[in-house]
Amino acid sequence: MSAPVEIVLVYQSLLGIYGDRGNAAVLVKRLQWRGIEAALRIVEPGQEVPATGSVYLLGGGEDAAQVSAVSALKADGNLFRALDRGAVLFAVCAGYQICGRTFTIGERDEVIDGLGLLDVTTRRGPERAVGEILTRWARPDGSQSLITGFENHGGFTTVGPDAAPLATVEVGVGNGDGSEGAVQDNVIGTYPHGPVLARNPDLADHLLERALGHGLDPLPLPELDTLRAQRFAHVRGRR
Amino acid sequence: MPAPLERHAAPAGLRFAARLRLRAAILAGDAAALGSRLAGKGSGASIRGQVMTRIDPLAFRKLVKGRRIAAVSGTNGKTTSTHLLAAAVRAGVRDADRVVTNADGANLHYGIASALAKAPAADLAVLETDERVVKDLITHGAPEVLVFLNFSRDQLDRHHEIKALAQAWREALGDAGTSGPVIVANADDPLVVWASGTAHEVVWVAAETLWSADSALCPACGTVLTRTGGAGADASHWDCPGCDLTEPEAPWRVVGGRIVDPAGTAWDPELRVPGRFNVNNAACALAAAAVWGVPVETALRGMRTVEAPAGRFATATFGTTTARLILAKNPAGWAEALPLLETDPVVLAIDSVAADGKDVSWLWDVEYEQLAGRRVIATGPRAHDLAVRLTYAGVEHTVVPEPGEALAGHTAPVDVIATYTPFQKLLKMAGLR
Ligand SMILES: [Zn+2]
Repeated sequence: MSAPVEIVLVYQSLLGIYGDRGNAAVLVKRLQWRGIEAALRIVEPGQEVPATGSVYLLGGGEDAAQVSAVSALKADGNLFRALDRGAVLFAVCAGYQICGRTFTIGERDEVIDGLGLLDVTTRRGPERAVGEILTRWARPDGSQSLITGFENHGGFTTVGPDAAPLATVEVGVGNGDGSEGAVQDNVIGTYPHGPVLARNPDLADHLLERALGHGLDPLPLPELDTLRAQRFAHVRGRR
Repeated sequence: MPAPLERHAAPAGLRFAARLRLRAAILAGDAAALGSRLAGKGSGASIRGQVMTRIDPLAFRKLVKGRRIAAVSGTNGKTTSTHLLAAAVRAGVRDADRVVTNADGANLHYGIASALAKAPAADLAVLETDERVVKDLITHGAPEVLVFLNFSRDQLDRHHEIKALAQAWREALGDAGTSGPVIVANADDPLVVWASGTAHEVVWVAAETLWSADSALCPACGTVLTRTGGAGADASHWDCPGCDLTEPEAPWRVVGGRIVDPAGTAWDPELRVPGRFNVNNAACALAAAAVWGVPVETALRGMRTVEAPAGRFATATFGTTTARLILAKNPAGWAEALPLLETDPVVLAIDSVAADGKDVSWLWDVEYEQLAGRRVIATGPRAHDLAVRLTYAGVEHTVVPEPGEALAGHTAPVDVIATYTPFQKLLKMAGLR
């Protein structure tokens, strides 16, 4: 009997204001439905980040929360140690931005050092990106999968040479240059909420397979297919 | 010191030309509202205000002048609290016609102007005021009392505006100085406490709140707030370790569903509107009524007549089905609404137009897991988003996208929780507005 797979929701009260905690619930359930023992660990600021997690999650939040999260995660250090031993980090929106080299906060665009886990930099865009987003994600096996979500961010992100964009924007803003999100080793950052893993089971299973090191059986969920078809039709109809 | 509710000598005079223009604007607004009602487009409150403002751009300012105003703002509970406060004030004066209120929940400039225009002789106004209108009301209406209920995240796609709004309140209160309103505010909510920090006088109310997820950081300095006691527990207390912002001592408290007044007397509110959050709302309304000198007993007598403010908690019939309609606009509202559900099945209606919030990610911040064992009928344009959420929550459900169909043919009463737009549609469908 192996230990349960740990899904770690990092600083939920700081970076969890857009329903992104749902990403953690989705990962745990998708493991449990397949008969794999899984446990959700919620870490709040002031508590030690567990070093034993398989997937770590960061969500959206406000400027001040970003600054607090960066300094707390650097001081704690366990997230970095977990990534060194092969854990996966999935970061959304503000969480994505803080994984980069630098990002800006406030009306005066104060530049803040990020965690340096992704070779990306974020600066304020010409206008806030708010609305449904649809992107094309090229999966590691070469096939394509559509990612649907809701973006809500003021920052535009430039992906540097050490990272690669996660997806290409079909409708919406994403990084601001036609690309969306970033991948570098076992760290993935992306803008959409939804929460994004609830709307995109392929992406959820990709994270789990990467963390576990093996493939997973398909998990048919007709309701989710209907929801995805609705969101695709909605966002494409509005173009 | 409580100010007794004496009639002002005379409303502050407007110059003749200004009065004439306002009069013309009101007549045109009345005609537009009547047209809207005849066309079956609702009360016409908003269109009345729009037409009035087109003819007299200063209508809002002129109409709020010369009255004694008590205003109610905050993210959740404004409409019910306004009804409770208006009923309390009516109970405290001999002539109930002295009190005007925007009872239909139209709480922007137009809606407020519209309500005031219909009652030129009323000298006491109890006004539900949208968070975005508070600054203007302080500047132009000089309210005597202003209730801040809470300041939680409303629509996710608007969240980044909340702190800016609180900042605007601070500035307006600071500018108003000692001529500004007495604030009645919820001491449990750090953002409310910070927003009230520039007011010359604040009466604190310690509510029993289920929701604290929106206030992890100090609004003043960004430090992570510390909390002692469980969320919602009587003993819970928040504090900022980084600056001097801390939960204030409150003379008014809600303890175990009873309201304790500054003298220490515990009152059983015995309201006809359900839920612990409405006891919090009642405590704030009692404290506000007390600023105007209405005794607790009198105020409660009035508040106990409030049943279904603007349709909230109304019992409606849809064919053979009897349904109780509950409004929940955001995760904080859902946290308070879900424990009220008494039926099986229940109907949950979700939409995502602007008034509901376009981003339905909030569905994942609501603990739908507590509905496990009950059957849910998911309805409304975003019923499938809810269905996926319920699947992951392990809650048995069916999807019936059309609300009319979802409510058809139940033999036992059903409870309905709806977001703003489907809630309004259901009220209309039931002939309640
Ligand atoms: Zn502070």
